[in-house]
Amino acid sequence: MAESVVEIVKKHLTREVLCAFVLFLGISGCDSPPPKFAPNRLFIERMARGEGADLEVAAPDIAQALEDWFGTPDQPKWPQILQTEEFAGLVDVDRLGRAAGQVRSDENDVHYGLYREHCVNCHSQEGNGRGPTSVFLNPYPRDFRPGIYKFKATAIGRKPTRADLRRTLVNGIVGTSMPSFQLLKSDDIEALLDYLVYLSVRGEVERALIAEAAFELDAGDRFYAPELSDRDPDRFAEQREVIEDVILEVAGDWQDSFVEETVAPEPPEGVPAFAVDSSGRIEDAALRASIDRGREIYLGEVANCASCHGKTGVGDGPTKDYDFWTKEWTTSLGLDPADRDAIEPLLDLGALKPRVISPRDLRAGIYRGGGQPSDIYSRIVNGIEGSPMPAVAMQPDNPRGLTELEVWDLVNYVLSLPHEQLELLSGASE
Amino acid sequence: MNESPKVPRYSKALHRLAVVLTIAVFPLIWVGGLVTTYDAGMAVPDWPGTYGWNMFAYPATTWLFGPFDLLVEHSHRLLGALAGFLCIGLVIIAWRVEYRRWFQFWTVALLAAVIIQGGLGGARVVLDERTIAMIHGCTGPLFFAMATATAVMSSRWWIELGQESRRETESTPRPINSKLVVLATLLAIAAYMQLIVGAQLRHLTGAVAPKLFTAFVHSHLTLAGLVLLLAVIVAALSWLGRFVPASVYRPSGLLALLVLVQIALGLGTWVVNYAVPWEAINQQIAHYTILAKGFWESLIVTAHVATGSLIISLSVVIALRTWRFASVGTSQAQNKDAIHAAASQA
Repeated sequence: MAESVVEIVKKHLTREVLCAFVLFLGISGCDSPPPKFAPNRLFIERMARGEGADLEVAAPDIAQALEDWFGTPDQPKWPQILQTEEFAGLVDVDRLGRAAGQVRSDENDVHYGLYREHCVNCHSQEGNGRGPTSVFLNPYPRDFRPGIYKFKATAIGRKPTRADLRRTLVNGIVGTSMPSFQLLKSDDIEALLDYLVYLSVRGEVERALIAEAAFELDAGDRFYAPELSDRDPDRFAEQREVIEDVILEVAGDWQDSFVEETVAPEPPEGVPAFAVDSSGRIEDAALRASIDRGREIYLGEVANCASCHGKTGVGDGPTKDYDFWTKEWTTSLGLDPADRDAIEPLLDLGALKPRVISPRDLRAGIYRGGGQPSDIYSRIVNGIEGSPMPAVAMQPDNPRGLTELEVWDLVNYVLSLPHEQLELLSGASE
Repeated sequence: MNESPKVPRYSKALHRLAVVLTIAVFPLIWVGGLVTTYDAGMAVPDWPGTYGWNMFAYPATTWLFGPFDLLVEHSHRLLGALAGFLCIGLVIIAWRVEYRRWFQFWTVALLAAVIIQGGLGGARVVLDERTIAMIHGCTGPLFFAMATATAVMSSRWWIELGQESRRETESTPRPINSKLVVLATLLAIAAYMQLIVGAQLRHLTGAVAPKLFTAFVHSHLTLAGLVLLLAVIVAALSWLGRFVPASVYRPSGLLALLVLVQIALGLGTWVVNYAVPWEAINQQIAHYTILAKGFWESLIVTAHVATGSLIISLSVVIALRTWRFASVGTSQAQNKDAIHAAASQA
């Protein structure tokens, strides 16, 4: 019986035929190799310059080790040593696989390749914050590899919680290129969080291995040589142990914070919650008093907010500082970020052109880390990691520091700043 | 026996079908734009079937009430198939009623174009190659322009203009400004180049280097300026020039307006994708948080894509009409010259 036309088309419409068809039109690309993560060449150079290390032999070994433990962008692996009870909740392997690879979806509306669909154009395949669009974005997209995140409820030096990262993904970052993904299904958000942690842990492990090689290896020494598995199993086991120790250490830092259940801080009894009426006026006398106290703290020596944000809070304090991601490869190597000639070779290795970081204009009423009183409280007591914004000194750790009540007064003052003009006008009219 | 020469004649059926095709391709472009906006290109993993079904037999309940990505992708395929059927109809009618040999072959070329376009769409799915999606996105508007050209070249005025030229009546058009012909042609070319560059920005992959993206952005901005300049000049020459018929100056004015709308949509597209890179300006709209795959965001971006195609098609209409008037006017002028020469010899 004659085959139907559809069957004939299906039978002969092979990949090769289609490739030939596309090539016939003068287009190539059907045989492009599967993607691989690019090495962190900037950090290799930073360590080579900073420590005088020769990493020429170690660098490809580190790349191989990362591929062996963490896989590729299409087929990511979560190291076996992390698939234990101890690290449960950090990354779900199934969701990780769903977030990776090519973009597609199925009849049940399950989406795959989520990272490439939503993140890669800005954050890049490696999560280095240097996607194709990055140079146009202000602020630059986050480089996940150092594992440093700005908006979190944990202290400087600690990893964010899962809730912190989820909040940024769901709410986006107002006034920046970071969109809100609130229309995504919650499971897709969780899959993206898994992939984000994966890129962060992978990136931090890479940096730690580079640092390890820079400090411990002599020039020409192999860092990881899989061919030794037969010839010199003990040596190979040692190499593996070094790598796995690093992986466990990095993942341990994440585990300590990531699965923490954080409760949004709330003002203690006696501190009025910030509120304005529909015309922007602040009517509550207790709140006014709190704001007045907050102003004193803002201008005072302990919090010293005015030194950067300016006396009027418009962000005009005398500062010319850079963020961590810039200082790591400039000032820490004795390079002036403004000296184009000096930094040019590092720009070629993947660094983004340095930008002076500006203190927030608190009168604009735009809070990238969230505009709830609890968010402002977190910014004050935890600082903004990676930026020049420090954590305020707090009692009882620091006897000269602020009390919790004082911080809430400061929160109220900060939140009142966008309304202050209205408030003054209303006061004058009265 | 002497046969009278076949004079091109207007076929209402042919022209109407060409117009229907052009109208049908515009939503096809829109839905194709939505496929990219929603990253729905791989919402159906097989081709030419849909999840193993013959694409025309795919259950409407899943198509219409299933996942949104599937709705968009499968609708795009069905609209593409509709365009293909309309092209087949055009070829059949053209070979039955049309005397212009070249036009008959033109309809065959149109059919070939829609087949190639469908093949590219299929290759994008079967090979899962985003590069092919980008090429598919570039050739789609080309097909739209071809369909538009078919509607123009099969229209009554196109055919009767040539006949008036032969009859050498007083109403025969005079040659229009040759600069207008050149500029209208350049406008169509520039608009298409602009779309190609735009497609590079839209079909980004993580493998693109920031420097290349930057080069595309600058090229897109430069070409936007060039298209605007050409559109304004063409509109000005059309409206202010002598002997320019309404069939040229009206679409020229519309095109200039459309380019302005497109620039506004382009700025909007940037903002809803990347926000504004300059903080001083950003402060003005700093309370805005981009909503990924949001309704307005998707609408603005897809409208920018569709308007780009519309600009190309409209500029092709203008270019074709100026060519037509110019060639008919020139042949009329040549005829008159020949008559004058013969008269003076006599």
